[in-house]
Amino acid sequence: MVSINPINNTAPPIANLSSPHLIAIEGMSKIEILSLLNRANYFADIEISKIKKNLCGYLILNVFFENSTRTRVSFELAGRRLGAEVINISVDKSSIKKGESLLDTANTLSAMKPNLIIVRHPESGAPKLFSEYLNCSIVNAGDGRHEHPTQALLDALTIRRRLGRIEGLEIAICGDIANSRVARSNIHLLNTLGAKVRCIAPPTLMPSGLKNLGVQCFDNLIDGIKGANVVMLLRLQNERMSGSETPSKSEYFHYYGLNNEKLKLANPNAVIMHPGPMNRGVEIASSLADDEEKSLIKMQVEIGVAIRIATIEALNFKNNLNE
Amino acid sequence: MNNLSSNYLLKSIRWLNLESNSNTDDIYDVLVTNGRIELIKKKIDKSKFDKQKTRIFQCDGLIMCPGIIDMRVNINDSSIENLKKIQMVAAKSGILSLITLPNLKPSLDNPATIEHLYENSKKINLVDIFAYGAATLNLDGHKIAELGLMSEIGSLGFSNGVNCIQDSLVMRRVMSYASMLNKPVIQHAEDQFLAGLTDSSNTTIRGEMNESEMSTRLGLVGIPACAEVIIIERDIRLAKLTNVHYHVSHVSTKESIDVIKKAKADGVKISCDTSPPYFYLNEHELSSYNTSYKLSPPLRSENDRLAVLEAICDGTIDTITSDHQSHSNDTKILPFSSASTGASGLETLLPLSLNLVNQGYISLKNVLKCVISNPKKILNLESHMISIGSDASFIIISLSKSQIIKQHNLEIGPTPFHGIPVQGTNIATFIKGNLIYEDEDFKDLEYV
Repeated sequence: MVSINPINNTAPPIANLSSPHLIAIEGMSKIEILSLLNRANYFADIEISKIKKNLCGYLILNVFFENSTRTRVSFELAGRRLGAEVINISVDKSSIKKGESLLDTANTLSAMKPNLIIVRHPESGAPKLFSEYLNCSIVNAGDGRHEHPTQALLDALTIRRRLGRIEGLEIAICGDIANSRVARSNIHLLNTLGAKVRCIAPPTLMPSGLKNLGVQCFDNLIDGIKGANVVMLLRLQNERMSGSETPSKSEYFHYYGLNNEKLKLANPNAVIMHPGPMNRGVEIASSLADDEEKSLIKMQVEIGVAIRIATIEALNFKNNLNE
Repeated sequence: MNNLSSNYLLKSIRWLNLESNSNTDDIYDVLVTNGRIELIKKKIDKSKFDKQKTRIFQCDGLIMCPGIIDMRVNINDSSIENLKKIQMVAAKSGILSLITLPNLKPSLDNPATIEHLYENSKKINLVDIFAYGAATLNLDGHKIAELGLMSEIGSLGFSNGVNCIQDSLVMRRVMSYASMLNKPVIQHAEDQFLAGLTDSSNTTIRGEMNESEMSTRLGLVGIPACAEVIIIERDIRLAKLTNVHYHVSHVSTKESIDVIKKAKADGVKISCDTSPPYFYLNEHELSSYNTSYKLSPPLRSENDRLAVLEAICDGTIDTITSDHQSHSNDTKILPFSSASTGASGLETLLPLSLNLVNQGYISLKNVLKCVISNPKKILNLESHMISIGSDASFIIISLSKSQIIKQHNLEIGPTPFHGIPVQGTNIATFIKGNLIYEDEDFKDLEYV
């Protein structure tokens, strides 16, 4: 796919973050976010062989308390492209009763003297706890229903590369907002960059007080999607539901699933995004998911690696400054 | 710290008589001999007393009052070791009677376990520990326990402890029995389906904090404020039907207060308590996932907090309880949803209550009614009198002594009040004529 952004010969500077951790988008400044996006944009364009392997001897632990393929691999690839050593650790839920020995686990990991720990955890706030007790940088790779900052960053860069801007765009996030960390990170990030964010969800999956986060709320996809430049679909998070939020998958698809017909109500150039994994026939019609003209789903995955390279590099830089 | 063989003369102490038929509020000299209050007089000549036998305290600015009655404490277990610690900490904190919830191991759902607790408690013989009998067997909310027999052993009322009785028919039956026995029913009001606390299916998601914009931002599961008032409204109707004394524990929302106020005006036999977190703190404390603030009911909005404070001042809320639970620090250094729920409170109950007087919200007399006379009335307790000839069991408080509450200074943690400055505290405790606790600022004349 041809990028709108011309390849820039002068590399933008390493992203400048105010914290040694990346836990949440909420609280990050526009300048911080843009510096990450600009740097990641550079990594997305240059040849892999030209990325400087400056992080030799740098140890990254990918600690996943929840299953993940794409995020884990994406972080792993990002670390390796920078020359770092990356070790994947899947913490089996059955072997530690959820949460019970989290800090013990963390301390054990800490003894390996990692420079950076990437944490995914089913409970909101767990990476924050890691950051308070461990002596290394922490990146949140998704915590419960709270945030998934690198996903929002990669979504933003994907949009910017395809549509040329973010400010002023009408962006509709549709689906299981209540249980989605992706939605929360995206709301904070897109608002900070000046987009107009709408959330579309059945009332049972629309969290309390969401309007106060600066979004327009719709319980109807037909109204919510009108004129949207981007339609971001979310997966129904069955593992975080208590069973009766929606009557059935087919009813959900009837009202909130996206198909070609409903997409016609959006802006004629509208694009579709999904953080994956997709439930075809539930959130999105299968044909639409495969429509390369409209769907940015594959591009999101590609950009993900670039965002994570920029993130790891920035946190390393930040720590070196502090030393 | 203990001095078990002396007589005591307290000079110039303020005695504020809380009995309803008295307006006494003046400075007196008080003589304690042989475990009893021998004399309360405007002036007792200290020169008559031998300093070897009688310790004399100059008590200017200090206040004598009966011990605090803490209506809601979770003591965890009935072991002598634990009861000793609880009694010592309570005595030091000015609490001379406390009533434990039945959520012990084993639970207090039959007369034998209550008797066992009472026997062990009497072996220590400092602070009175009473119990609420479990309203239902195993506290499961299904079958009513032996309320009559537990009442005979001395259970002061009936409660399902930290659980709310969900089934309206069971609640009606508990209330009918309690009404016959003339004992109150104490309810933790929370619709467990709305709060997501039921265990009926594996997929249930537990509510973790107040439902609001904050819960959305933090990605924690919210418990709507109405989960509390829904149960209170139901229970008020059942209380009218059964003519029972219904008591709502740790009221935390404005809506609940409005409903209770109306029920009181309508003549329903209803009373209620709240605990310091609900008038000092609000949900914004949770912004950094600090698990010290993980409580049940959850910390609510600022509007709710203000309503609770107002209701204490206007008397809608009858009493302030510690809602004490002890948890090891290990259970709090966890991600929010895995962390334990609840906080300690015995040591902070009186300072946080007296602080309201210093902040100008409520008079000293009214706050003492909240922690002494009102629980005494609700529970039909006979002790807790200060009069000539009565047992010399009382506390001495200072309204001026200030401190900053610190986690590491407390004997039982964890507290949600770490770092909060308060003014007013207990500085001496007498139990049956023995000076059980004396603060460093409480000095007898030999050292003055």
